[in-house]
Amino acid sequence: MPSAETEREKTAPLLRIARSKALETVREMVAGCMQCGTCTASCPNAWAMDLTPRQLWRLVNFGQEEEVLASGTLFMCSTCYTCTLRCPRNLPLTSAMAALKRLAFEHAHKTRRRAAFYRSFVDNIRSYGRVKETALMSMYFLASRDPKLPLAFTAPALRLLGKGKLHWPGRPGRGSLGRLMDAVMNREGRP
Amino acid sequence: MTKTYDALVVGAGIGGIRSALDLAQIGRKVALIEAAPAMGGLLQKLDHQFPTDHCGMCKSLPLTQRDNSSQFCMRKGLFHRNIDLFLSTELTALDGDPGAFHATLKRRSSFVDPARCIGCGLCAAACPVRVPDEFNAGLTMRPAIHLPVPQAIPNHYVVDLEACERCGACVKACPTGAVDIKGEERARFRVLIAGEKSEDLDRLSALIADMGFPVTHVSGGAQAVEAVAAVAADPESAVRLVILGPDLGEMAGERLLGRLRELSPHLPVLAAAGERAAAKDLLDAGALEMIELPPDEKRLRPWFDKFFMRQVSDEMVEIDVAAVILAAGFTCFDPTPAGDVLGYGQLPDVVTSLEFERLLSGTGPTGGRLVRRSDGAPVRRIAWLQCVGSRNLKQGDFCSSICCMISIKEANLALKATAGQPGGPVEATVFYMDMRTFGRDHQHYLDQAAQSGINFVRSRIHSVVPDNGPEKGLHVEYMGEDGVLRSERFDLLVLAAGARPPASMARLAEAAGIELNPWGFPKIMPFQPARTSRLGVFAAGSFNGPKDIAESMIQSGAAALGASRLVNLYAPIREKQPAPEPVYADVSRQPSRILVALCTSCPVFGQTLDGGALARDLAAMHGVSEVIPVERVCTGPGWESIVEAAASDRPGRPKPNRVIIGACMPYAYVPRLHQLGRRLGLDPGLMDVVDIYSPLMQAAREGAHPLEDAETSLRMAVRKLAGSEPRLSGSYQPVEQHALVVGGGLAGLTAALGVADHGFPVTLVEEQEALGGIALNVRRTAGGEDARKYVEGLVEQVRKHPNIRTFTDARVSLASGRSGHFLSFVTAPQGTMHLLHGATILATGGHEAKVYEWGYRVHKSVMTQQELENKLADGQIDARSLSGVAMIQCWRSREQARNYCSRICCQNAMKNIAELKRRNPELQVHVFYRDIMTYGFQEEMYTEARRLGALFIRYSPDNKPRVEFEEGRPVITAFEPILGRDIQVRADILALASGIEPNDASEVAELFGVPLTEHGFFQEADPKWRPVDFLKHGVFACGLARAPGSMDETIASAKAAAQRALCVLSEKRLVPGRVVAEVRPTLCSRCGTCIEVCPYHARSLDPVLDRIVVDELLCQGCGSCAAACPNGASVLRGFSDRQVLDVIDAALEV
Repeated sequence: MPSAETEREKTAPLLRIARSKALETVREMVAGCMQCGTCTASCPNAWAMDLTPRQLWRLVNFGQEEEVLASGTLFMCSTCYTCTLRCPRNLPLTSAMAALKRLAFEHAHKTRRRAAFYRSFVDNIRSYGRVKETALMSMYFLASRDPKLPLAFTAPALRLLGKGKLHWPGRPGRGSLGRLMDAVMNREGRP
Repeated sequence: MTKTYDALVVGAGIGGIRSALDLAQIGRKVALIEAAPAMGGLLQKLDHQFPTDHCGMCKSLPLTQRDNSSQFCMRKGLFHRNIDLFLSTELTALDGDPGAFHATLKRRSSFVDPARCIGCGLCAAACPVRVPDEFNAGLTMRPAIHLPVPQAIPNHYVVDLEACERCGACVKACPTGAVDIKGEERARFRVLIAGEKSEDLDRLSALIADMGFPVTHVSGGAQAVEAVAAVAADPESAVRLVILGPDLGEMAGERLLGRLRELSPHLPVLAAAGERAAAKDLLDAGALEMIELPPDEKRLRPWFDKFFMRQVSDEMVEIDVAAVILAAGFTCFDPTPAGDVLGYGQLPDVVTSLEFERLLSGTGPTGGRLVRRSDGAPVRRIAWLQCVGSRNLKQGDFCSSICCMISIKEANLALKATAGQPGGPVEATVFYMDMRTFGRDHQHYLDQAAQSGINFVRSRIHSVVPDNGPEKGLHVEYMGEDGVLRSERFDLLVLAAGARPPASMARLAEAAGIELNPWGFPKIMPFQPARTSRLGVFAAGSFNGPKDIAESMIQSGAAALGASRLVNLYAPIREKQPAPEPVYADVSRQPSRILVALCTSCPVFGQTLDGGALARDLAAMHGVSEVIPVERVCTGPGWESIVEAAASDRPGRPKPNRVIIGACMPYAYVPRLHQLGRRLGLDPGLMDVVDIYSPLMQAAREGAHPLEDAETSLRMAVRKLAGSEPRLSGSYQPVEQHALVVGGGLAGLTAALGVADHGFPVTLVEEQEALGGIALNVRRTAGGEDARKYVEGLVEQVRKHPNIRTFTDARVSLASGRSGHFLSFVTAPQGTMHLLHGATILATGGHEAKVYEWGYRVHKSVMTQQELENKLADGQIDARSLSGVAMIQCWRSREQARNYCSRICCQNAMKNIAELKRRNPELQVHVFYRDIMTYGFQEEMYTEARRLGALFIRYSPDNKPRVEFEEGRPVITAFEPILGRDIQVRADILALASGIEPNDASEVAELFGVPLTEHGFFQEADPKWRPVDFLKHGVFACGLARAPGSMDETIASAKAAAQRALCVLSEKRLVPGRVVAEVRPTLCSRCGTCIEVCPYHARSLDPVLDRIVVDELLCQGCGSCAAACPNGASVLRGFSDRQVLDVIDAALEV
């Protein structure tokens, strides 16, 4: 068992079960959860998550809005639907995860750092119609507002540069994905 | 001719057998039918059962009137005088009303004549087909002609029509001509095709002609009628099948079929059409099936061939019955579709639990050696995965109830089977969701398993991949409860596949006219645990929902009681005139004169044996007066010739006084020996049947010395009979036809009514001032029925019943006697009175355990689940004014002080959650639990509770929730295992699941000489096979005093106990079996060794006579006492030392 887990056990404050209005729709989606852990075991990205999906659903059910929305787990979900496919309770887990992402953006102040990459990625695609790595990374660094972050990426960036894999953002591709995404947003009634 | 039976039992698994035996024992005639070609059901394939880890099926054989039934291993089969068994038979229609049903049965032919099949196996050796063998769960291959189970008696080969290729090899191989695959019948099976000539019909006609059938083609319906009429009178050339094409002219549809039926009532008709809609008229009018046009040769050929085989060999049987019991059991879930994750079907080392049982079995594919199926390497690590096909909304949202215990058992067995292997026993790991050990003794079983080193991991395995490393095997990935993903290597993965309704359920439900529940099992009426939606049709055993053996036995007993009550209404138990007791001649003073009859019908006999030499050798033996050859003993004339020889006095040869028959299948003759005894006036104990054909068959195959083997068997029988002494007077126990029921709660009331409805007087003794017991506290059952109203109605019925005398505020103060004849004293306010009764039912009940922890009795906000239910029902609690309710399950249950599950607390919690949430959907409900025991279809309540938003938080017994109070309101702090940290809940009400405790029954137990478990429940004779009986015959237990259970389960056990009591009461006198032990007092030193070794508690020291006495009713003739006695004073009748030594001599002398 990794020490982080034990650490949290020791230091985590007592969790007071409450009811969260914001999480209510998501709670209803996962109320049937029986904590079997099939979702977590099937999740290809679970290793990168700070809370496993099982823990996340548990916190949703316990009404822990702060912790849920501050978790990076939401942004590690790659929407592969494996958990939904395998859940023995037939719960719409991927949809619940998407709903949580939406919530997280609504409560942006809590999730700014976690969502920085996610948001930069989507914005990048919106404006270029595909991923432009250099633009993406600069947007990400700006959004994260962390001066140390670019340093962490220096080594891989140099290696990529050496192999000619990095391109400066030349003429933007101007794909039509931006319009498509706007249309979807409109249809869903989101700002 | 229509035969009449009292009851029809559908399904000859253990549930059906139990029901049939229960009815047969009270003198009812039962038709027992089974769709498979062998009896025994699923259990034939399972060698061991929890919690005893061995078999014990034979314990359900009758204990009294033992000579009416077979007394050998029930896996081999069962005979009972009152049961007619029909194998390969299905119920196709059930008309009429309760008490007067008319059942239509379809007997499928096995294509092997059972009268001629001698089980030699030459046919199977010749058969070129190989298909997966059902008996070994598909792990081995078998020929098309095969034995359905290897050990059945009699064991006849059957042809699997689906697999058979009609090559005829078996027909040629059979030495007795028993196999008939209807080769010659083909030329006489005249097929008439009617309809306007078309290309399609021509092709059809050519195809059928090509298969060897004579075909006539006529142009229309009218011509078809003419053609049928023309040859109707002549059986040789009669039309045997009519196929009606699309264009029939004027004469068509119902009119045509009606006319054909007039001419030949049983003539089968098929409709040939391009699509189903076109043939609808004909099918509605009575055509059996449709042939698609244009004919698809590949499909049509085998289909038509099978159709022909069934037409000419299947037989319809019509019977009249008063009641029907359905006991078709269940099938196991097939995990193949789920195979993408678990690899079943693709990876040979992933097996189902049934397959694993076969791997462990001595008759299985590996003879019981545990090896990897992929490469035969020894198995070192095994994993079990629970809830495959159960508790899954996608596959079936119910709990199969039995898999948890089965997996523990299998792990136990695997440990035992590999204990001696180098490197020690296997490592066993069970991956589970909730460990559902809800039976009375099951928690103990789980604890023991955990102690013996079996790992239990709470997790669902999510994927299985083959290990490509040097060790091979399977990589199993799972997530531990700590949230860490692990990967482990196992050699074998066992999927605990859940239960499913039998494959034939839809057909059976339609034929029997019963409704099904959402899970595909029969719908059962509330408070009537064995009744289906159709009056007079009962569901027994695991057919009405997955159940373990003990509960199946109880369900079957309850079903039998329901059926026998119905039968009784229409044909009361006849004052059974005990058949005039046969008077057997006293031959004890005569020298032994043995008649040996040898069956010579089998051709192998002549081929391998010199019959003359055998007869000469035997005739020379001392005590043998004559040896006669008999042509086919199994036929009527053959049997008569034996009777004649045995009954005749001839000059120089006085009448024989002992008979030995040398034939095949000795067990089949046992019932007939009784008839023979009656006719000859000779004790059947002086007759024997010897199997001389098994050695002959073996000789024919292996070239051994048949003469020696057969002769040895015969010589041994001769020696044994020569030394046996006739038993002249049987000891009989007259029966007082009166029952005593102790306890007037739900169980006592139900049992009393069950007995009294059969016309026997019942005395009901209740300690309290009022009848009804604890069941009156229950407001609504889990199904939403008004429980109190039901119990009050029951009390009313008992009060008014002419056969029931009730004493309240009374107790049994003294009891003595034995089965059939008890003398008890009942002390009531009216005074003390004595009572003679033949059977006793103990239903002393239980109560809700009292809690003195967690603020109960201190804070008003703390109450038991039962109190919460009552307060909600009375309106004392307004759910809308509450903000939170907390529940703690398993209070002091399933650990040291009360190490059993009370079964009902979890469903009570679900019931209360549903009620609370119904009144206040916003209410927060938190449940602290260890394992949720919503077994069977209750799983739905659990799903619903979670859907409604109740939160379930698991705790472990070594880290229980802590309860504090703030201004009288409970604050519960507990460790949350998923998050790995403490959580805190505030609630207005804390409900505690306090569990069930039995009432103090120590006094009653002592009075009747029956044992209690360590927790004070009644200890039954056998936890599986005799769940409501005591070892002491004639005393039965039911209700909460036996084990915790819901109302329906209590009612079922009470009915089962009543049915068992009826088995005693319906006899005028109890007759013990023939083989019982006796004591020679002159040799006996009263050491008491035999008393201790007797497994049936049949022996005791009589202080007045100063003798060891044997209760012949209890003695089952096992011989333990004879083996243990140091003085040779204990003797088993028919197995005296002299006889046994003589037999050994005979075995060695040839």
